[in-house]
Amino acid sequence: MRTFLRFFASRAGRAIVALWLVSTVVFVVMRLSGDPTPLLLPPDAPQREILRLRAELGLDRPLPVQYAVFLGNLARGDFGQSIRFKGSAMAVVTERLPATFELGLVSFAVAVIVAIPAGLLAAVYRNRLIDHLAMGVALVGQAAPTFFIGILFILLISVKAGLLPTSGRGDWRHLVLPAVTLGLFAMASIARLTRSAMLEVLRADYIRTARAKGLAELLVVVKHTLRNAAIPIITITGLQFGGLLAGAVVTETVFAWPGIGRLAIQSIYNRDYPVVQCVVLLSAALFVVINLAIDAVYGLLDPRIRVR
Amino acid sequence: MTVSRRDLLKGAALAGAAAALPGGLVGPAAAQTTQKRELVVAQGGDISSLDPHMSTSSNDIRISFNIFDNLTSRRPDGKLVPALATEWKLQGQQAWAFKLRQGVKWHNGDPLTSADVKFSVDRTYDPAAKTRVSTVLTTIERIETPDATTVVIHTKKPDPLLPARLGFYAGQIVPKKYLESVGPDAFNQKPIGTGPVRFVSWTKDDRVVLDANGDYWGGKPDFDRLIIRALPEMAPRVGALLKGEVDIATQLPPDQGERVKSNPGTIVSGALYGGLYVLAVNSKVKPLDNPLVKQALSIAIDRDVIIKELWRGRGIVPSGPIAKGDNHFDASLPALAYNPKEARELLKKAGYKNEEIVIETTAAYMAGDKPMAEAIQAMWKDAGVNAKVEVFEYSVRAQKNRDKSFKGLWWSDPTSTLRDPDGMMWRLLGPGGPQDYWRHAEWDELGNAARFSVDEKFRGEAYKKMTKIFLEHLPWIPVIQPYEDNGLQKYVEWNPDPLQQLEIRRFNFKFRRA
Repeated sequence: MRTFLRFFASRAGRAIVALWLVSTVVFVVMRLSGDPTPLLLPPDAPQREILRLRAELGLDRPLPVQYAVFLGNLARGDFGQSIRFKGSAMAVVTERLPATFELGLVSFAVAVIVAIPAGLLAAVYRNRLIDHLAMGVALVGQAAPTFFIGILFILLISVKAGLLPTSGRGDWRHLVLPAVTLGLFAMASIARLTRSAMLEVLRADYIRTARAKGLAELLVVVKHTLRNAAIPIITITGLQFGGLLAGAVVTETVFAWPGIGRLAIQSIYNRDYPVVQCVVLLSAALFVVINLAIDAVYGLLDPRIRVR
Repeated sequence: MTVSRRDLLKGAALAGAAAALPGGLVGPAAAQTTQKRELVVAQGGDISSLDPHMSTSSNDIRISFNIFDNLTSRRPDGKLVPALATEWKLQGQQAWAFKLRQGVKWHNGDPLTSADVKFSVDRTYDPAAKTRVSTVLTTIERIETPDATTVVIHTKKPDPLLPARLGFYAGQIVPKKYLESVGPDAFNQKPIGTGPVRFVSWTKDDRVVLDANGDYWGGKPDFDRLIIRALPEMAPRVGALLKGEVDIATQLPPDQGERVKSNPGTIVSGALYGGLYVLAVNSKVKPLDNPLVKQALSIAIDRDVIIKELWRGRGIVPSGPIAKGDNHFDASLPALAYNPKEARELLKKAGYKNEEIVIETTAAYMAGDKPMAEAIQAMWKDAGVNAKVEVFEYSVRAQKNRDKSFKGLWWSDPTSTLRDPDGMMWRLLGPGGPQDYWRHAEWDELGNAARFSVDEKFRGEAYKKMTKIFLEHLPWIPVIQPYEDNGLQKYVEWNPDPLQQLEIRRFNFKFRRA
């Protein structure tokens, strides 16, 4: 356990450095993108109005000073005031988090529940109809851009067939199309990787031995093969969960889903620095936490990793 | 003013995908009447603020002009009519007296008084209030309230357009007592006005919910509830209309008109934009400092082709710097001509030496911006102009606008906020204005005189002369005055507004009932 804790502590230390780097990059990139004041005032506003607003927003101070203030506030969990909404940036973001979590978790669940059995079956019935079918669908899922799939669903399933609402957040019916759209890419990647990881293990000597000693095929597949194929599957699954956040930007925009993905887009267009910083840092933090969790799971699953 | 117009064609690629699908997308059975009591409107973006003095974007004013009233109101037909003020008249040269409507109540039951009006107008330019409309009403010197229903506004110089200014953004009247007691932040969270709808809730990036004001002085609107949904992508916005989830979809691009029209339950309804789409010119750089070059550029544009091919006929060719529908628009002026042969001759006469001429354009911020720029580039090349198109992001455009650093020509969609040349060409092209790249002593003198004259005949003559000078020097090259379209359910009776407001008051909105 001690080695495991040490392993975990070193990973956590790296995570904090990663977050600091991300916060600095966001800070610099947002400032490089230019000044938000021309976007906030009418085009005929005179120069003194611009200067007044810049001072009000603290943008008239030298960049190093702004950076120091930013880091100091960050350490206290203060992301500053949203330029566009005139409220705490954190509050603006946390208001949208439930919607994104709802969408993200449901898509993730859909992806995993469909993908792992599909990949498993495709591996076991390699080169049979079920394999071709599953991998064909997975190929489309990976190749087709999210916005295209989303719009296709809206036009065919909502408008033409009249089955589900076109957009917006409401009851479970509003969730179906965006969740499937968002989950599709992750689903495809997980299914393909599950299949190839399973195939590799299925060729191993110990599987032949297991079969030779007369174990039931189900036991061979689930207990001996899946357990040994788990590491790459868990890795890709964790990464795909992080990827869902990126996908949420497009999916939320297409389906008018009021989550942080849409907020991020709006805030970038409006150069709402504090909100962009908050969204990016929260997403990065989530990504880092997921990676830590995966590392921890590795350690638990495979004792060899702990030692390294 | 319209940060949101980018949404109009943002999903151009998506639109393409949508259009490529097999046709025959049939919505619900064609309903010509309805029993609905709830009006659902889709627009291209969320609002940013409910406090009417904190934004000028079109997504915001669609709502704030309905929660609040102004002293005067600009109707969709362009007429300025009484609203909270029942009458107004000039006292001498520099004072306007407004008589307030009797018996108007705020949504919390308090009566409207002249103190609210004085407070609201003073607030717009009060530095402590930090509004986003602080420059709109700066012709005002001071405001007197001799009694509860009279407001006298003194201007620094004669201001013929004050009633018009008060009818647009910055002119919304806010409740003094309520705002002062709850503070600006709480007011922005939960505003009250005198308008036809009361604020209920705002779910950010999703919807704003408003209830009809049964006590409205102009009559209760023809619905119980109004829901404004933010649907940024065009294809889902149109999808929601075709499926019948929304009653009105705003910002409908021209290439979607056929789909909406061919659907049995929906129609297209457009208003001629109260403004123009122009290529603004940096007349300080060579060779654009030469009027002959600008004349050649203008006459080399085949505007009819642009309207027919890119706008599906939804627009008209301008005749000069004044939009059709504005005060002092001269109906006798011919539409801007197309003559490539004359363009070549003008270029020769100007001594044009194949210098590069750059059009800077956003991609889908303004409807049709990039395709129009590319079409014009091709037309100019045919006329022998070394033209180049450069694409930039909207925020870069805003920055260049601020720094006055455009390379040559760029798209602008000036809005005629007062439906008068003063609120458009003079506001933007005048000395010190945001598009001040060209000066002409006589033009400046005329613009200044017209601004401060209360004699409409004199003003009319001045704008005629200014138009003549404009057409010779072309500080803008006007290209099109487009229609701005909306998709409606057939059971909706509603007239769209040329200045992008959403007028749902009783005189302008009705559900057709069985």
